[in-house]
Amino acid sequence: MNVKNLFNPRNILILIGVGIALAIPLIFNASQYVMLLMTTVLLYAILASAWNIIGGMAGQLDLAAAAYLGLGAFTTGTLLIRWNITPWVGMFLGGLVATALAMLIGFPLFGFKVKELWYALSSSALVVVLQSLFMMWNEVGGPTEKYLPIGTSPWYSLRFNDYMPYYYLMLIILVVVLLVNRWIRYSKLGYSLLALGEDEDAVEVLGVNSQSSKLKALAIYAFICGVVGGIFASIYGYVHPAFFDTSMSMEIAILGIVGGMGFIYGPALAAIVMVSFREVLRASLGSQLAGLYLAVYAIILIVVALYQPRGIAPLVERGIKKAQTYFVELTRGRRADIKSH
Amino acid sequence: MDVEPILKVTNLTKKFGNLVAVNRASLEVNRGEIVGLIGPNGAGKTTLFNAISGLYRPEEGTVFFKGMNVTNWLPHKICKLGMSRTFQVTRAFTHMTVEDTVRVGAYNRFNEKNVQDKVDQVIKVCDLVDIRKRVCEDLGLASLRKVELARALATEPEMLLLDEAGAGLNATELAVFMDLIKKLNQESQITFCVVEHVMQMVMGLCQRIVVLDSGEIIAAGTPNEISNNARVIEAYLGKRAVHARNQ
Amino acid sequence: MFETATQGIITGILMGAIYALIALGLSIVFGIMNVTNFAHGDFVMLSMYLSFAVGSALAWDAVATPLITAPLMFLFGIITYYLLIDRTLRQMYVVQLAVTVGLQILMRSAALIIWQAQPRALQYSFIQGNIQIGDFQILTSRLFSAVVSLIFIAGMAYFLSKTWAGRAMRAASDDLGAASLMGVNYHKTYALTFAIGSSITALAGGLVMSFQQTDPVGGIRFGLLSWAVLALAGLGSLPGLIVAGIIVGVVESLTVSFFDPRSRLLGVYAIFILVLWLRPRGLFGRR
Repeated sequence: MNVKNLFNPRNILILIGVGIALAIPLIFNASQYVMLLMTTVLLYAILASAWNIIGGMAGQLDLAAAAYLGLGAFTTGTLLIRWNITPWVGMFLGGLVATALAMLIGFPLFGFKVKELWYALSSSALVVVLQSLFMMWNEVGGPTEKYLPIGTSPWYSLRFNDYMPYYYLMLIILVVVLLVNRWIRYSKLGYSLLALGEDEDAVEVLGVNSQSSKLKALAIYAFICGVVGGIFASIYGYVHPAFFDTSMSMEIAILGIVGGMGFIYGPALAAIVMVSFREVLRASLGSQLAGLYLAVYAIILIVVALYQPRGIAPLVERGIKKAQTYFVELTRGRRADIKSH
Repeated sequence: MDVEPILKVTNLTKKFGNLVAVNRASLEVNRGEIVGLIGPNGAGKTTLFNAISGLYRPEEGTVFFKGMNVTNWLPHKICKLGMSRTFQVTRAFTHMTVEDTVRVGAYNRFNEKNVQDKVDQVIKVCDLVDIRKRVCEDLGLASLRKVELARALATEPEMLLLDEAGAGLNATELAVFMDLIKKLNQESQITFCVVEHVMQMVMGLCQRIVVLDSGEIIAAGTPNEISNNARVIEAYLGKRAVHARNQ
Repeated sequence: MFETATQGIITGILMGAIYALIALGLSIVFGIMNVTNFAHGDFVMLSMYLSFAVGSALAWDAVATPLITAPLMFLFGIITYYLLIDRTLRQMYVVQLAVTVGLQILMRSAALIIWQAQPRALQYSFIQGNIQIGDFQILTSRLFSAVVSLIFIAGMAYFLSKTWAGRAMRAASDDLGAASLMGVNYHKTYALTFAIGSSITALAGGLVMSFQQTDPVGGIRFGLLSWAVLALAGLGSLPGLIVAGIIVGVVESLTVSFFDPRSRLLGVYAIFILVLWLRPRGLFGRR
């Protein structure tokens, strides 16, 4: 095994990224604001990477991320509030509940030849419908926040005083989700999904069951959103129907598209860049122009969709490839020098 | 030895609103044959293929493949049973590489462990080794046709439907393609049904030919019989041509 | 309970006619251009705000505002078409969805920035008040709006079948290649189609403003309603659109009567999913 091969630009970048990510809490030691910001960035990175599975690989424009997130949040929150079940367990149950709903909606909509359009529309409406439902359901939701108890042990109820533990938790989950992305991408499911996105008829005659492939992708994505929802509730310390937020769902889809559909790290990268940018915008403009950052997002989406529909990841890939060839020539040159001595 | 035909289509009718695209078409293909399906443009050949392979649901009639009634089956189930096809206008997976495209087909019968071997084998057989890493959107027509055949082949079919796979190929490419089909037919025992306009391919490959015109089967027989059939000539060239021929 | 149901049905029928009108705009764009305008509901929302602006500034009746808002929205439609939609026609489907989603968000943000989040309403118009029929009440404005909607839909049917422009639009939907060979410039036809769809929302917006208020998130509701009507109706039948509109209107109305006002979208959503599952081409669809 050539150790030199390991030191290529791609791996170096990954190493730097991981290093920075681990070091951030230590750099910004006292600043809760930065920690919350970073945790939020990670949250969107996770959701966008999960979205990548249904949106980027399966090619379905899902606009219901907040639906699954919200369900996970309410499941976890309610279990903790009512029966004192730890969010560590609640999260997974939340994921399951989200997945169950996803299957309920997805099954009728993923029939062979039912256009992606109808899925996009129904998923977009789902969030609103769930919000109304939870607004009416006073025991679990209702118009006022339902606060999560802190209880005896912060680790048991997942309620910490500062954001650092949440940050590391999210970081671990992000890594896991990226690995899941990678695993799917190079598996039978991944290839089937990518091909499905290109041409559903052609893929069916090759033996791919398009409906069940889409459902699998949806299930994994919904599960991740549900689990994250549980942590979301823990971070906020309460649950409220406003969690079913259509804008958030659309943002996540935008991050997925802008990042690069199907590319493993694309959405996460887009999340890091754009969510940081958004928070900076919000800090400087304040709640004055509440709609402004969303408008900026929308414009970026439109521009990317029209001129670079495969997202920014391909551009990054090209950059890395250029760096790699440059790097190879550099090392080859050096070896040639050594030889000639 | 199988006495039952591998494919048996009976009285198949496909309508689009009021338009009857295929009208009570029946045909049989025996195992190991290469059967040609010809007819003037708009005769309904692709529609018939689509109905057989599961992309369309026929209003009437049945399709039996390997003795099973696959009339209303979804295409992926028919593929699992052993039938695959190519498309008239190549429907490549534009942004995927040749190798990944073939892999999608190979997953039909293979799993993660042994899929790579199958992919390598098919790529070799179809002469795609040089371009295996190229992205489909960069390829020319002849290569794309090979890729379409390769990915269908990777599913390990017992029967392949080829829809105008020879169109647009030059003489050399066509000869190579025909050799490949003959080889697959003889060595791998794949049954073929080919829709074709390129007469050279039809006459050179097919043991039997079925002729479709305006949605109806108007003739079936050996290449010789078909080329002398008055109704066929009329369908292609009009009544005057038959008249002229009989002078 | 019988009274509640009947009252609900009456209201539902009236609203249904209006929903059919809104869906008409969508049907034209989707049916003829095969363009998915995700932002259609927000076009209605924007129209309503424009009606509010015009109505407040000029002290006009809500139902008169379309005289100004319709040309405005027509122009908006043309600009949107050439700037955004035209470019998405040759690309992957997802691009069109993404662009119209972006448009939707943009419109919502614009409304939020210009008019802020609180709902806006216009002073009631000459058609305010109720009509009493036995035990049942009908909002005059609703009745008026429903009637206008039906008349307009009928007019559109005439336009599409009898005028050259209308037939050009239909030809473009059936076979773009052939239509362009016969001298139909598809860009212009499409732009016209899209702009007509847009101005229909202006008309609907003005009508609705006579009995409702508007807020930035109203677009979601109108979007779901129009897509539900379209899915139920299928493409190609204008009478079918009216029937579907009425069904959706009645379902919404009964859901509100018997459950909770906040649950209004639930019934509609349920129909939507059911239709997509069991009869994707709609009750009256040709394709």
